[in-house]
Amino acid sequence: MNSMIAVLKEQVSNFYLINRLSIYQVKSTNSNNYLGMVWEILNPLFQMSIYWFVFGFGIRNGNPVDGVPFVLWMSAGLVVWFFFNPAVIQGSKSIYTRISMVSKMNFPMSTIPSFVIMSVFYQHLILLGIYFAAVLLTGQGLSWHLIQLPYYMFALIILIFAISLITSTLSTIVRDVHKMLQSFIRMFLYLTPILWTIDDLPGFIQVGMKLNPLYYIVEGYRDALLGMGWVHQTLQYTLYYWVVVVLLLMIGSYLHMKFKSHFVDYI
Amino acid sequence: MSYSVKLNGITKKYKMHRQNSDKLKDILLPGGYGEDFYAIRDLTFEAGEGDVVGIIGVNGSGKSTFSNLVANITPPTSGEIDVKGDVSLIAVSAGLNKELTGRENIELKLLMMGYKKDVIEKMKPDIIEFADIGKFIDMPVKKYSSGMKSRLGFSISISVDPDVLIVDEALSVGDKTFADKCLVKMEEFKERGKTIFFVSHSNGQMKKFCNKAIWLEHGTIREYGPMKDIMPKYEAFIKEYKSWSKEEKRRFKEEGMKKQEGLLAADSEEKGKRKKSRLLFR
Repeated sequence: MNSMIAVLKEQVSNFYLINRLSIYQVKSTNSNNYLGMVWEILNPLFQMSIYWFVFGFGIRNGNPVDGVPFVLWMSAGLVVWFFFNPAVIQGSKSIYTRISMVSKMNFPMSTIPSFVIMSVFYQHLILLGIYFAAVLLTGQGLSWHLIQLPYYMFALIILIFAISLITSTLSTIVRDVHKMLQSFIRMFLYLTPILWTIDDLPGFIQVGMKLNPLYYIVEGYRDALLGMGWVHQTLQYTLYYWVVVVLLLMIGSYLHMKFKSHFVDYI
Repeated sequence: MSYSVKLNGITKKYKMHRQNSDKLKDILLPGGYGEDFYAIRDLTFEAGEGDVVGIIGVNGSGKSTFSNLVANITPPTSGEIDVKGDVSLIAVSAGLNKELTGRENIELKLLMMGYKKDVIEKMKPDIIEFADIGKFIDMPVKKYSSGMKSRLGFSISISVDPDVLIVDEALSVGDKTFADKCLVKMEEFKERGKTIFFVSHSNGQMKKFCNKAIWLEHGTIREYGPMKDIMPKYEAFIKEYKSWSKEEKRRFKEEGMKKQEGLLAADSEEKGKRKKSRLLFR
């Protein structure tokens, strides 16, 4: 608990640092391409269109979900996925790839995963902007439900940060953790109802799938973007989500604090 | 005497892992796994303000570990380090991001060191002027020559105005004019009462610049004192070392290895014995 407070304090007091470093992060990853940042948007758009083709037309025959066009329903989930996936993967390798850059032990190490996550977050915002445009163009329209979006965004960032704290520490000590995570995370694209609906599955499997905290976020984004529901209708699930996140955060902070002064020795 | 850097019984122990599985065992087993290796062993040492300490010793004697410990980059296994004020370590092109331009790297590096926005803006022009690499400052660092990299690295590290400065072989890459410029800057630091540690294989630079010397051997201090007393001894030792036969050199290294693995005690009595034995087999 104490280490969790310490880690969170580090985030708040180094907010400017996180912000600046994340901008440099975006710059340095894209400096080699002529189109630069544009690729961060084009890539997910290409993938979205192929998923739309396969799952929308191929499997669902273009049927809407709860009255919402499938493409909008699916992309609301994919927008979350295109943030979650790269952020978790880059967050996991964030510390061991950058430890040599950090020249002092008293550098606030826990800001390393957060600025890496932040650098992916810009891409998320742009994708969301494109999504809004698409929603407006298709005549679906936005509703007051949208005010829930910042809440779900915050919840998602905290979840990713908590996971990254754990994995970045573990993969610094044992590099294999990162490889393991890469294949593990890929499964979540299908274990979370991003591309398909789980309505036809038996009840207990549906409940089982809800244990995945990402499910909560994906549904939340859909509620907000497509006006499909309100957060207070899922109080129990909300409570479960935050218990999981706080637990992950506590484990992550404990591990981080325990090993942070020895990160250099594991290189 | 007031000190600025004080090391008290510092030990830095590494585990020797031949395979990755050894590393894993070391993490999982309660007692740890693997042979110990003492990079630095039970080292006690003090340097005062205005001291310029040259760190000398053959390869593998613990010079870099020593500077990393003082610079607070690696934590010691045991013992206490007390440094008054900021430390800055200058090593060749340490921590520059190849994809970013020189200018961006300056800000990045200073941010990493914990400086605030307005301070960074003030420091930037001085750094750029000192580095003196012209238009290259707006080019990505991957296009730099190694001399330019070390110029930039040195300029950044020296600009932060540290209280303790550690220069680890950083001047060996730059050309003569830049090295002289750096020496002038360091001279200025010395006059302002800052402590400087200097690691270099150039004995000439050492003699000119340092007033004290610390001679490391197998992770312990062999001698510590004024440069003018230590340097002749060290030079004599190097000469002697060169004249040894292969067999003698091997034995010297083996003995050191044993000591660093913790098989031999590193007390003074042992040292005396070793000196005698060396005389014997000569």
